[in-house]
Amino acid sequence: MLELKDIERCYTNGSSKTYVLRYVTANIQEGEFVSIMGPSGSGKSTLLHILGMLDAPTAGAYNFLGEPVHTFNERKRAELYQQYIGFVFQAYHLIDDLTVYENLEAPLMYKKVPAQERKSRIADMLDRFNIVAKKDLFPEQLSGGQQQLVGIARALIGRPKLILADEPTGNLQSQQAHEIMDIFQKLNREDGVTIIQVTHSEENARYGNRILNLKDGQLQA
Amino acid sequence: MITQVALAIRHLRKHKFYTFINIFGLATGIAACLLLFRLVYFEMRFDMFHKNADRIARIITEERDPSGGLNLTSGSALPAQDMIQNTVSHFEQFARVRSNGMQVTAGQGTPLERKLNAEETAVYAESSFFRIFDWKWLAGNPDEVLKTPGTVVLARNIADKLYGSWANAVGKTLLLDNKTPLIVQGVVENAPPNSDFQIEVFVSYETFKADKSLFGYNPNWGSSSSNDHVYVLLKNKLDFGAAEALLARVGQEEYRNTNSKKIHKLQPLSDLHFNSDLDTISDHTINKSRLFILSLIGLLVLAMACFNFINLATAMVVNRSKEVGVRKSLGGQRGHLIRQFMSETVVIVTFAAITGALFAYLLSPLLKKISAVPDDLPFLSNPAVWVFLLVVIVLVSVLSGLYPAFVMARFDPVAALKNNLNTRSIGGISLRKLLVLAQFTIAQALIISTLVALSQMNFLRNLELGYQPELVYNVWVSPDSAYIGKYETFKQRLKQLPGVESVSFSSDVPGSFNTWSGNFAFGLGSDDAPFGTSFKFIDEDYFETYGLKLVAGRELTQSDTVREAVVNETLLKRLGINNPQEAIGKEMRIGRDNWIPVVGVAADFKTSSAHEETQPMSMFSRKSTYFVTGIRMDPPSMTKTVENIKTVFEETFPDQVFDGQYYDEYIAEFYEDENRFSSFCQGFSLLAILISCLGLLGLASLMATQKTKEIGVRKVLGASVAGITGLLVKDFLKLVLVAIVIASPLAYLFMEDWLSDFVYRTPIHWWVFLLAGLLSAGVALLTVGFQSVRAAIADPVKSLRSE
Ligand SMILES: Nc1ncnc2c1ncn2[C@@H]1O[C@H](COP(=O)(O)OP(=O)(O)OP(=O)(O)O)[C@@H](O)[C@H]1O
Ligand SMILES: [Mg+2]
Repeated sequence: MLELKDIERCYTNGSSKTYVLRYVTANIQEGEFVSIMGPSGSGKSTLLHILGMLDAPTAGAYNFLGEPVHTFNERKRAELYQQYIGFVFQAYHLIDDLTVYENLEAPLMYKKVPAQERKSRIADMLDRFNIVAKKDLFPEQLSGGQQQLVGIARALIGRPKLILADEPTGNLQSQQAHEIMDIFQKLNREDGVTIIQVTHSEENARYGNRILNLKDGQLQA
Repeated sequence: MITQVALAIRHLRKHKFYTFINIFGLATGIAACLLLFRLVYFEMRFDMFHKNADRIARIITEERDPSGGLNLTSGSALPAQDMIQNTVSHFEQFARVRSNGMQVTAGQGTPLERKLNAEETAVYAESSFFRIFDWKWLAGNPDEVLKTPGTVVLARNIADKLYGSWANAVGKTLLLDNKTPLIVQGVVENAPPNSDFQIEVFVSYETFKADKSLFGYNPNWGSSSSNDHVYVLLKNKLDFGAAEALLARVGQEEYRNTNSKKIHKLQPLSDLHFNSDLDTISDHTINKSRLFILSLIGLLVLAMACFNFINLATAMVVNRSKEVGVRKSLGGQRGHLIRQFMSETVVIVTFAAITGALFAYLLSPLLKKISAVPDDLPFLSNPAVWVFLLVVIVLVSVLSGLYPAFVMARFDPVAALKNNLNTRSIGGISLRKLLVLAQFTIAQALIISTLVALSQMNFLRNLELGYQPELVYNVWVSPDSAYIGKYETFKQRLKQLPGVESVSFSSDVPGSFNTWSGNFAFGLGSDDAPFGTSFKFIDEDYFETYGLKLVAGRELTQSDTVREAVVNETLLKRLGINNPQEAIGKEMRIGRDNWIPVVGVAADFKTSSAHEETQPMSMFSRKSTYFVTGIRMDPPSMTKTVENIKTVFEETFPDQVFDGQYYDEYIAEFYEDENRFSSFCQGFSLLAILISCLGLLGLASLMATQKTKEIGVRKVLGASVAGITGLLVKDFLKLVLVAIVIASPLAYLFMEDWLSDFVYRTPIHWWVFLLAGLLSAGVALLTVGFQSVRAAIADPVKSLRSE
């Protein structure tokens, strides 16, 4: 489903070039559950952003569902975000102006889900993540862990076929982290959702069926 | 849609300060624009409500004087009018209208209570006038009225005043100038405010023709009064050219015989209100270029308010970048985002428009300070105002919202998410600078214009007039055979009043709107001089009363007829006589009158406003043309003295209406227009500065918050408060300086043009530019400095920790 070939991402700062990713080649099949691991600064988030088309590689080829990504226009990409991809950000990235409820609603609005169904889906998510009581609060009124839960709920609510999660459980207590991982695994096994997660924890990585190790911007065999 | 608006409102409430600045700034701009719109709309639509407006014209006279100048007169000689009516076939209707001082008396009560001075608004008119112009008839038949002598049509307010209600008016009789009875044949609704025909009394033209000697019917080709108008309705609106070709031939032989070069032309109704070279019955004209400047400044002020919005919105973009990134990753398209930001803009602009309309309503009284609009100028009852507001909302939303919305929607999501964007990397910083620059240029130009206008007004106040108007009160009198015999009694009784120093009768005050002039010859037996002289008829107390000075000879002695002359220095200079003493004893004559000796030379005084050169002037005595009494008073208790003057007048002339005015108030009317312009500049430069500063305030505070971390670090490294403030202020100050450089020459050219209307004028001093520059730089410094100092003295630890 996703094919990376010799992906490279570098930053130029004045005259010096720093490579954040280099020679990254990988294939991810539909239905896989992949964990990306590596030390801080190794380029995990960058890779995830590129996979999610939020960032563009400076060199190399990336095919998404068999089509080269660089040919996608804004509309096509927006359509994929609406229909296909769910994002969990490392820094949660909830919209400050919106309540928990509205944050969950936003992707459904873009997806043009009818009001009635939006309501039931959101109720379902709030319930599943145990945050019903928080639905009218703004992000700044939540703890870091709670924000992370909302971020995950928001990624799942659109029922995506591909979930890109950047340390989705980094701020959660281990019991909660397991529950999240269980959810991911269930989605992966029962609904065939493809999942790519970045994680520091070996334990979480074991939920997946494959591990990609990044070091200094290169994949380790 | 509703959720978008709700969201927008929530966002705006969260950023109260910026919302306030935006709404307040835009509201001020919209209010100013709305006020000017009402004014311009009112002025632009004068007399356009007449059904046949595009076929109506007035016949005017164009005269080429010996020096080659063109003089336009709104009237024409009476015999010429007859000839035109007989020879030009393009007119469907032809109406003579003569506006002349008249007095009508009617109703119950004492003679004093019944009197009504209709001087300003009474005309003799032919019946056809009502077939050219549309009047709303309350009573009477427009086809039947004004066909015979001794008939009159009244406007509603005067009919109400005279008879309690207009419904009682028809068939009643009133008296014209206390002599001629007039029967009321009809009542029309008052002219709407946007008409140049604010006529209240229409006396039939036949009345005037029936008693030619009484009303001063002048059958000469040589005279042309600006009061004898002819209005015509063309058969076809394309006939203007053809009709003018025929008009051009009228009276050419006769005019040659009177030694003048005159030609008749048509002035379309649509030109009437905008041509200040020609009088109208209501005497209110305004130049289109003035209206253009008003509109332009209104739009500029609105643009300045939009600039603020754009500036703040693009600067705020940084704070919203994360939201943009997230929304994009959730599938938000550029269109969605633009719509979202635009709805915020529309909400702001709508609030601003409502607030602006409220401001405009509250500030309406100020309109009178800058223009001649009536008190009851329609506001919300005028549908055009609503349309205007709607257009403003759409236009301002698009102009000020679209750019920032596009900037935001264009963001690269990852950069946006990482908050890596700063004001610099978004771009638009040069745009922002440009807009601030434009704002300060406009404000600066307005400040300079204000200062120049004020210094000219000050110059005019201190202008050496050559006479002293300050303590003089004028009362208008009528040299009619019925009253002229009482002049002497009137004068003696006035002189006996406490507080009256001296009293003089004359045809006119020294510096005046009117001119009365003619050819003259100087030196017994000489030909006419190559230039004309103005003249005034004055009595022996004129010099003392008005404070005029002699440079040679003596004043006129008491005489009821023309016996001797006093001329002014300008007349002698134009004749080439440098020593005034030489003129004494020489003979002169006006036109073909008798030769009379020159007995005195008056020091030059300003014969009219500062717009015009001092004219050659000759003064004679002649009681039959004394229209105005000048009364010099003692400074304290002048109001009491004026009351006494009024009593004496009414006792002496019981059937005359008292008409009096302080002479310096009359002189102030010379500069009514300039005073309005000066008030306009003052108001709008204040506004411009206010709006620019609001923008600066917002920008500076945004900049300060966005640089909190940098400032914190710098302070930890040891930077001083002054150093940091300087860092923040420097940029803005540079912009203000550039604005001064751009605005100064523009304002200079504009105000030079304005001043060129004056013969007597102040130079534009260099310090005006310096002062204006210091002013705007000072205000900018205060605005930015306040924010910067606040940022600079903030606790560094706090600002660093919050990151
Ligand atoms: N705008 C930028 N300019 C220059 N270098 C950058 C920029 N953004 C990221 N980098 C660099 O790219 C490298 C990889 O960053 P990335 O966020 O992908 O790391 P990561 O593996 O996700 O680390 P962590 O585990 O801490 O989240 C880092 O060394 C970082 O310094
Ligand atoms: Mg990371």
